[in-house]
Amino acid sequence: MAEETWKDYKERKHHRPQPLKGIKVLEVCTLLLGPSGPGFLSRLGAEVIKCEMPPLGDTLRSLVPFGYWFREQCTSLIRPNPNKYWLGLDLHKPAAQELFLELAAKADIVEENLRPGVMEGWNVGYRQVKEINPGIIYISKTGFGQWGQYARENRPSNDGAAQAMSGYAWMSSFPGQPPLKSRLYICDSYGALLGEVAVLAALHYRDRTGKGQFIELSQSESIMRTMSWIWPYQHITGRTAMPAGNRDVSICPADTFRCADDTFLALAAPSPEEFRGLCMAMDRPELADDPRFKDHLTRLKEDNATEILRIIADWVRTKTPEEIEGLAEKHGFAASRLYTIKDVVEDEHFRERGFVTEVDDPIVGQFLDYEFPVMMSKTPPRVNWSIRPVGFDNEYVMKHHLGKSEDEVTQLYECGALGKWADVAGRRPSSDWDGKAGLIMARE
Amino acid sequence: MSEPTLADCIRERDDPGIAQRKPEALDDITVLDLSNKSFAGCYCSSMLAEFGAEVLRVEPPEGDFIRTCTPYGMLHEGEGLNYLSEGRNRLHITLNLEKPQAREMLKGLVRQADVLVETYRPGLVDDWGVGYEELRKINPRLIFASITAYGQFGPMSHSRTQDWDNIIQARSANQYDTGEMLPEGMSYDECPWAIPTKAGPWIGWVQAGTFMAVGILAALHWRVMTGEGQALDVASAESYASLEDWAAVWYQGAGVINERFGSLNTGGWLYSFAPTRDGAVFLGGLRLEMWQAFADMLGKWDEWAAARWKDLAPFSEKEEQLKWAALVFAETRKYTNEELVRMSVEYAKKGRLAPITPVVAPVCSPEETMQDANWLDRGIFAPVKDPVYGKLVVAHAQHKMTETPMRTKWMCRPVGYDNEHVYLKYMGLGPSRLKELKVAGVI
Repeated sequence: MAEETWKDYKERKHHRPQPLKGIKVLEVCTLLLGPSGPGFLSRLGAEVIKCEMPPLGDTLRSLVPFGYWFREQCTSLIRPNPNKYWLGLDLHKPAAQELFLELAAKADIVEENLRPGVMEGWNVGYRQVKEINPGIIYISKTGFGQWGQYARENRPSNDGAAQAMSGYAWMSSFPGQPPLKSRLYICDSYGALLGEVAVLAALHYRDRTGKGQFIELSQSESIMRTMSWIWPYQHITGRTAMPAGNRDVSICPADTFRCADDTFLALAAPSPEEFRGLCMAMDRPELADDPRFKDHLTRLKEDNATEILRIIADWVRTKTPEEIEGLAEKHGFAASRLYTIKDVVEDEHFRERGFVTEVDDPIVGQFLDYEFPVMMSKTPPRVNWSIRPVGFDNEYVMKHHLGKSEDEVTQLYECGALGKWADVAGRRPSSDWDGKAGLIMARE
Repeated sequence: MSEPTLADCIRERDDPGIAQRKPEALDDITVLDLSNKSFAGCYCSSMLAEFGAEVLRVEPPEGDFIRTCTPYGMLHEGEGLNYLSEGRNRLHITLNLEKPQAREMLKGLVRQADVLVETYRPGLVDDWGVGYEELRKINPRLIFASITAYGQFGPMSHSRTQDWDNIIQARSANQYDTGEMLPEGMSYDECPWAIPTKAGPWIGWVQAGTFMAVGILAALHWRVMTGEGQALDVASAESYASLEDWAAVWYQGAGVINERFGSLNTGGWLYSFAPTRDGAVFLGGLRLEMWQAFADMLGKWDEWAAARWKDLAPFSEKEEQLKWAALVFAETRKYTNEELVRMSVEYAKKGRLAPITPVVAPVCSPEETMQDANWLDRGIFAPVKDPVYGKLVVAHAQHKMTETPMRTKWMCRPVGYDNEHVYLKYMGLGPSRLKELKVAGVI
């Protein structure tokens, strides 16, 4: 029984192995498309070394919501970067390039999201790494991929550009209104996730054959893969797919409705038993047998859909979200008020499952983070520690991974191959840092 | 230039046009896809099927309800458009799990499979005697993957709620704070579009399915190392919620609940859609130099005193964003999308801050996207010639890989299309036995 499988899952999480134990990842990534990918792997137990350009590091370190810093650290840097080791490495310097290759020789995966050709120019591109480590899995993530017109023009890109150029934003708006950008960096986060599907499939292939490979991923192309009916619809009808606001044009009824208290609620009841349940809840049982609504394909037709959604909207307008949620559970259809971020963080169910999880970090302090959202009965993913200042783990990486002596490390600092944080917000430790907390090897 | 460029070298090895000649990463894996009323389950096993896994799609005799989830009720050759795309590369069989005999047959398949994907409400497969605890006894190497609205455990796991995409989007908090702001002094009745807005595509379902695919692949690696299978549990709302970047931390630190900010970006400046003479563009300049380059590109270097800007942070404040957005939009309205995009590409060559240049991207309709020569050249919308459904355009697997590229081999199949082949191959059941099973309502 499921209860047996998942008994004490949250409590015993840290007493179990992790699925990617022993897998070593090197990242040269900034913002979100890049770092989020290794951030998924690090939650699954891979050892991730994040290389940043000292002293400023990841561009993301500057980006905070309306100027808000969380305990003097970058609010946005936390989610994509748990469980990593932080190396301040200036890849412009030949000595740093050599260090990178020394690390790459022992690595399983390299991830980067710089513009095409930049890594190659630093002598750490796929072809150079492959020379010393033929089994390497190397992924390059960019706006437009490695070849084609836009890549050739060396166009910069962002998540928002991908939302725009894929048609995703167009399809996520109200009819007659300007296209709307998602408040999420959805193409970054999703592109990063899709990238790991390829990386882990490549790992399976390497487990079988010993062979590595090169993977390229485009942010815009990734989100196009999610857009399902839109492409065959346009191809078959010759018409542009049109946005429909909150209404799901493939499922009926499925829409967002306004409640009596002016808050909003999502409702769906497409299957025969759900639709009948909804009609009962509305005290309109005859609607379930109405020829316009009786089966799903008929109900989805434009006029019929408009009519049933209007009937539901009028009904919901007289109820609170709690009333509708109660009726949904009783009659067997789906309804949920629109959760705010507070609702998610404080949700008892998410907390009990350990999805919303407590982290006790020597630099960032105690806070709630989100766990990798796949619970694995034998090998639970987890967040152990959080973000660090630029170059914070240099000494650990140099000694633990490369066996460098004190003198060698000193030289690497002197020639500028290694570096640490600038005295700038988002780069440095918090003002109350005692000079020791969180350091692994070099505590001065 | 006779020397091939890096781009040429890569293309020679990863162009989707040569994918069919290469090996497949997962062609040693057999997957049972029991998805029911769930695009998440279908999407998950598509990823595995695109990498060459043999995916046996197990449907009830009348077919999965998801086939009827199609825009405006439209069918193509009798099939819904979403399933047409997401039933790809599978062998389709029927099995009526209400019948005990069918469950025994499922167990026979499970003994020969590596992965099982299911999306029934928690407890149902246990009631049928084919839950994880039963199946692990007959196949300890099995990876048993469940995707549901609230997951297999926790106080809400007993809910009857079916896992629909719009419910996932609502429950994740990502719909609440996406949308146009209500204009000052206006009401929802006057501006019914200025409300929390969900994404059009089935992004909630897609997240659940893709996260599960990553979980399955990690579990496969673990199985290679140890020989052990395991159970995996995705609660769809958690998977979409987990993509949020800063609002949960902001709430904990400052008690602020993030609200809608239109097509601007609470998380930083410059990062916005902007109106133009013929539509809209996205503008991106998350580094100070890129924002300065943007001002310069518009000829506002002196008027806006861009040389004196020292830090991007002050521009991120809400009031500053609204003030600057008004100034920027007044300028972008003077140009077409194409003009602004060209200005950015040219600025990278000759501008004062070149090669730094702002991101300028046209906001496209999906029709424009599908006609864009860049994506066509990269093989994203290459038509598939399917023996049952004819020539079709769907989005293909979007990675490019040098050794084991993903590929689309065929579209979905009609219900039970592959019964004959699959039951013969896996269970030795020939035509006469199949006929009996059909009459008995088992398949």
